[in-house]
Amino acid sequence: MLVYLIRRLFNVVATLLVVSVVTFGIFFAVPKITGSDPALMYAGRETNETALAGIRVKMGFDKPISEQYLTFVKGIFVGRDYDGGTDVTHCAAPCFGYSFKTEAPVWETMVDRMPVTLSLALGAAVIWVIAGVATGVVSALKRRTAIDRTVMVGALAGVSLPIFFTGMVAPAIFVYGLGWLDVSNYRPLTEDPVAWLNSMLLPWVTLAFLFAATYARITRATMLDVLGEDYIRTARAKGLKEGVVIRKHALRSTLTPIVTMFGLDLGGLLGGAVLTETTFNFQGLGTAAVAAIGQGDLPVIMGVTLLAALFVVMANLIVDLLYAVIDPRVRLT
Amino acid sequence: MTAPLHDTSAESPAPVSVADVPAKAIEGRSPGRIAWMRLKRDKVALTGGVVVIFLILVAVFAPQIVSLLGHPPNEFHEDLIDPDLGTPLGSFGGMSSDFLFGVEPTNGRDVFSRIVYGARISLVVAFLSAFVSVTIGSLLGALAGFIGGWVDGVISRIMDLLLAFPQLLFTIALVSVVPNSLWGFSGSGVRMGVLIVVIGFFGWPYIGRIVRGQTISLREREYVEAARSLGAGRGYILIKELLPNLVAPILVYSTLLIPTNILTEAALSFLGAGVKPPTASWGKMLSDAIPIYQDDPAYMVVPGITIFITVLAFNLFGDGLRDALDPKGS
Amino acid sequence: MIRRKQAFAITAVIAALSLTAACGGSDGKTKTEGKGGAAFNAATTGMVNPSDAKGGELKLWSPQDVDYLDPARAYYGFVWDIQRLYVRQLLAYDSKPGKDGSKLVPDLAEALPVLSNEGKTYTLKIKDGVKFEDGTPITSKDFKYGIERVFAQDVLSGGPTYLIDILDQGQKYPGPYKDTDANKMGLKSVETPDDKTIVFNLASANSDFSYLLAMPSSSPVPQAKDTGATYTNKPVSTGPYKVESFTASKGATFVRNENWDPKTDTIRKGLPDKVSFTVTTNPDDMDARLLSGDIDLAIDGTGMQQAGKNKVLKDEKLKANADNPFTGYIRYFAFPTTVAPFDNIECRKAVIYAADPKSLQTARGGPTSGDLGANMLPPGIPGADKSYDPFNLTKGEPQEAKAKEALKACGKPDGFETTIAVRNNRAPEVKTAESLQASLAKVGIKVTIDQYDGKLSSSVIGSPENVKKKNYGIIVMGWGADYNSGSGFLQPLVDGSFIQPNGNNNYTMINDPEINQLFKTAAAAATPEAAAPFYTDINKKVMEKALYLPINFDKAFVYHNPRLTNVYFNDSMGKIDLATVGIAAK
Repeated sequence: MLVYLIRRLFNVVATLLVVSVVTFGIFFAVPKITGSDPALMYAGRETNETALAGIRVKMGFDKPISEQYLTFVKGIFVGRDYDGGTDVTHCAAPCFGYSFKTEAPVWETMVDRMPVTLSLALGAAVIWVIAGVATGVVSALKRRTAIDRTVMVGALAGVSLPIFFTGMVAPAIFVYGLGWLDVSNYRPLTEDPVAWLNSMLLPWVTLAFLFAATYARITRATMLDVLGEDYIRTARAKGLKEGVVIRKHALRSTLTPIVTMFGLDLGGLLGGAVLTETTFNFQGLGTAAVAAIGQGDLPVIMGVTLLAALFVVMANLIVDLLYAVIDPRVRLT
Repeated sequence: MTAPLHDTSAESPAPVSVADVPAKAIEGRSPGRIAWMRLKRDKVALTGGVVVIFLILVAVFAPQIVSLLGHPPNEFHEDLIDPDLGTPLGSFGGMSSDFLFGVEPTNGRDVFSRIVYGARISLVVAFLSAFVSVTIGSLLGALAGFIGGWVDGVISRIMDLLLAFPQLLFTIALVSVVPNSLWGFSGSGVRMGVLIVVIGFFGWPYIGRIVRGQTISLREREYVEAARSLGAGRGYILIKELLPNLVAPILVYSTLLIPTNILTEAALSFLGAGVKPPTASWGKMLSDAIPIYQDDPAYMVVPGITIFITVLAFNLFGDGLRDALDPKGS
Repeated sequence: MIRRKQAFAITAVIAALSLTAACGGSDGKTKTEGKGGAAFNAATTGMVNPSDAKGGELKLWSPQDVDYLDPARAYYGFVWDIQRLYVRQLLAYDSKPGKDGSKLVPDLAEALPVLSNEGKTYTLKIKDGVKFEDGTPITSKDFKYGIERVFAQDVLSGGPTYLIDILDQGQKYPGPYKDTDANKMGLKSVETPDDKTIVFNLASANSDFSYLLAMPSSSPVPQAKDTGATYTNKPVSTGPYKVESFTASKGATFVRNENWDPKTDTIRKGLPDKVSFTVTTNPDDMDARLLSGDIDLAIDGTGMQQAGKNKVLKDEKLKANADNPFTGYIRYFAFPTTVAPFDNIECRKAVIYAADPKSLQTARGGPTSGDLGANMLPPGIPGADKSYDPFNLTKGEPQEAKAKEALKACGKPDGFETTIAVRNNRAPEVKTAESLQASLAKVGIKVTIDQYDGKLSSSVIGSPENVKKKNYGIIVMGWGADYNSGSGFLQPLVDGSFIQPNGNNNYTMINDPEINQLFKTAAAAATPEAAAPFYTDINKKVMEKALYLPINFDKAFVYHNPRLTNVYFNDSMGKIDLATVGIAAK
């Protein structure tokens, strides 16, 4: 178990390293190749040579890329000093540098944006897992009934609808049409819980609908497969009640692929629910990253990408550990 | 990443092989024939298939359709726009017998024509990027599964790694750093090429995983062992024994990958990383609709429904095809 | 003119009455005259809700963070507006509606500068009783030090550098941080014979120098309190408010500066108790809060988003609190003459004639986005003539016949291919590019739109070499004057000596000796009024050369909270002047 854990953690670190090298390579090397100057990006409208030279020295753009990368990685763990000759700016760990655009520390921006993405992803996740798995199980048990067909048609529609469309239709109906909800932009939970709930409701439902549809389809398919297995037949033959067979035996194996998916999905969303955030004009990690890409704001791109990758690999790890709990056949070796 | 790209991966179909053909088939019916007969009975899937063919025809004959029923896709009609509000005059986004789907806010371009031309972009990108994914995925997946050992280790690691990448962000980033003209192409052609390559590249691990799994399970089958014991070489086994049995799952997943790619292309265009203006694209229309949909909902509904119908049709057809090829199905 | 004013006053009263009923009524006695009530566009011509009521918190929001609070480094127009709250200069724009708002009046100086030595020497005396926020009196040395800081571009980058161009005079002064003089008073062209007197010695006469003295970069800075690059976090105040806190990309708060003496200040009213500035990342949310009365003003001044704007336009009651002021900007297409076939004037004319001005205006957001462009000198600047329209653009129609004629004369009767460069982060600019693309296609000119990273404009279109390399025949841009004079607007655009390898604004690369000379002649004029005719002349020459296609004289659609008092748009800024704004007593 311990050896397994260490090996997996090693994998996590290796994955993050590769992601960081690739990201750094693409975003910091490309300007070099295309001939644009990161100092110019940082400077914005100020372009006199003296100022540029100052920026180059201070931000370390005059160093080779490999050295810049190492300084960057070091900054994450122990912080770094930006030495401009006459003035030194200290950036405390975890230091992801400063945004080219706002000059705010990237870490602070990410911490700022995190609650938005977190609220969105976690809230939606709860809804879609419960709704998706429940409808999937019901659908499988009532196979070939009207319920099954309705659920599956709904689910198929769900996976075929782009969220950036449903994300506009939902407010168009519930806010501007029926007037059930107020126009809502994100409000922090700590500031006003009611306003927070009001602002989160539509994004949750829209995002959860998409995932619930997928989960219902997969739960149903897996459940049907499992119900055909020998051990279920054995359990029934033993005279166990149908409810017990479903709950204790069938559901348990059905959950295995669901947990895998859930880990990947949630991990992916925590790194920024780009489309949902954009559609609802929420300022989370996803919109931060998209804006940063549009503006060539390299440090922010780098920070969000790394954070997103971290979420995905950590979610994967947790999922694998959870297997041992759910599925007794799995041994961690 | 909001769109679950791995939707299709969990419902992996059981392997289809000659050995699995039900014994009750008295006349020698090929598996392909059986599948076709099943598909013919599946009305829903057939409807999906008909819609798919219709959409492909629309894309191919876009210029002819537009010259008959619409206006040139890049022609401005500002006389149909309220200058102060920027919204179309008339109800339902300016829909009329002249402008079937209404006009675009601000500039009054014909929405019908732009939807028709948008189909070209959407389908070309979706098909070709699926082709890229399938080619890389099948090749590497089969190699990993068949050879095993360190080759499997390396390929599997790469697949894991790619799945850990924030793909949408990377795609946007890669698309936006590629220059306007490349290898003699310029304008929207370059963008489309990049979209195809990038979407295709990030899609291959999904196919790769499935093919790998299939190959591993097939590798140990009796008929393969039989061939091996008869002295067949590795290459012979891979090409003559395994590949034919991989065709069915690969076909199914290609069909199901296309709607995912349509959504991805739309998402990228929505986020501003799609084809360049004035080329029409469904996703771009939706993102243009955001600031104005309270005043002009029609401009959001038309491209939204179009994407929905297209993706749904492909999904229905793909589901049907999978069921038809599934030997366990009845 | 008079008749129009009266008619206007009547509507204003009606609007004011309905407004009073709507929001519980503001102090009745503040409205002694017919004018002063709220009505659409009322604040662009007069003072809305005049009042002397003190107190309250003025809540300013902006989707854009300040660039710097340091007066030497700030360059954003709205930051200069905010700086009217906490830094004063020798001279400042008067806080009066209409044309008076673009006139300079003495602020920390006792009087307007005394010119001697054929206009080359400016002498000013500092008012008695003016102090920094810590109570120390402001001396001439503080002014000199503040100006010297502008020279330290390696540490304090960002702000305008006109002062360096004029005051360095070959000295290569490195700024106070590298100054070898013991008192850091090494800049030779500025003298401080005593604590009350400051003397500027110019190399040649310059009728615009007074405008430079009114820029925030000419503010006094106490040497003892200067913290270099971090001064921007806590600049020392000389105005009615001082910086209480500042967090980059979050916002700032300003509280009363007890050492500001209103008796020394004819410009600022200092009415609210507190001013807060909040950066938002969501402009639509900002508009919603503004309309709900949650916040007071979107200070960035670029105006409402489309959704918010449409809401206000459809609601007369809301519309009464909105204005549609001219921002001082001209939106235009520029034709780099270094890129074929735009080296040929006839090809440039072909594009101008083929364009559909009405369509371009709609693309920018319709009539509320600005009046149809006609020439390249914005109204409000001395020498401007809005009616001068050599290409008949204000008729609002494409002139295809003339365009085809011009194409023939250019030797390209079947048209040609070219590229439009447009910033990817400006939706209206992209839309205008698409509109031009559609219009030009009708005469056979095929246009590719290249959307580049807007943040990098200074190195993409600001690099003549890159423009040539990328074949940018048409560039979409907008421009507003740094100071209210023809040179402040036109010189960076059309003076050949302003062409730079990077951060260039003379996109057309025009380097015409006659135009360059006219700028010199205008600068040598004694007063801005005397210089005006020369700028009229330059504008004419530029238009005759068909270098630009003006899209519009830009307007913003600005909504303000009805509780604000003394609201007016200052002509020199094109923004609501924060120096006067107060909050109505409840």
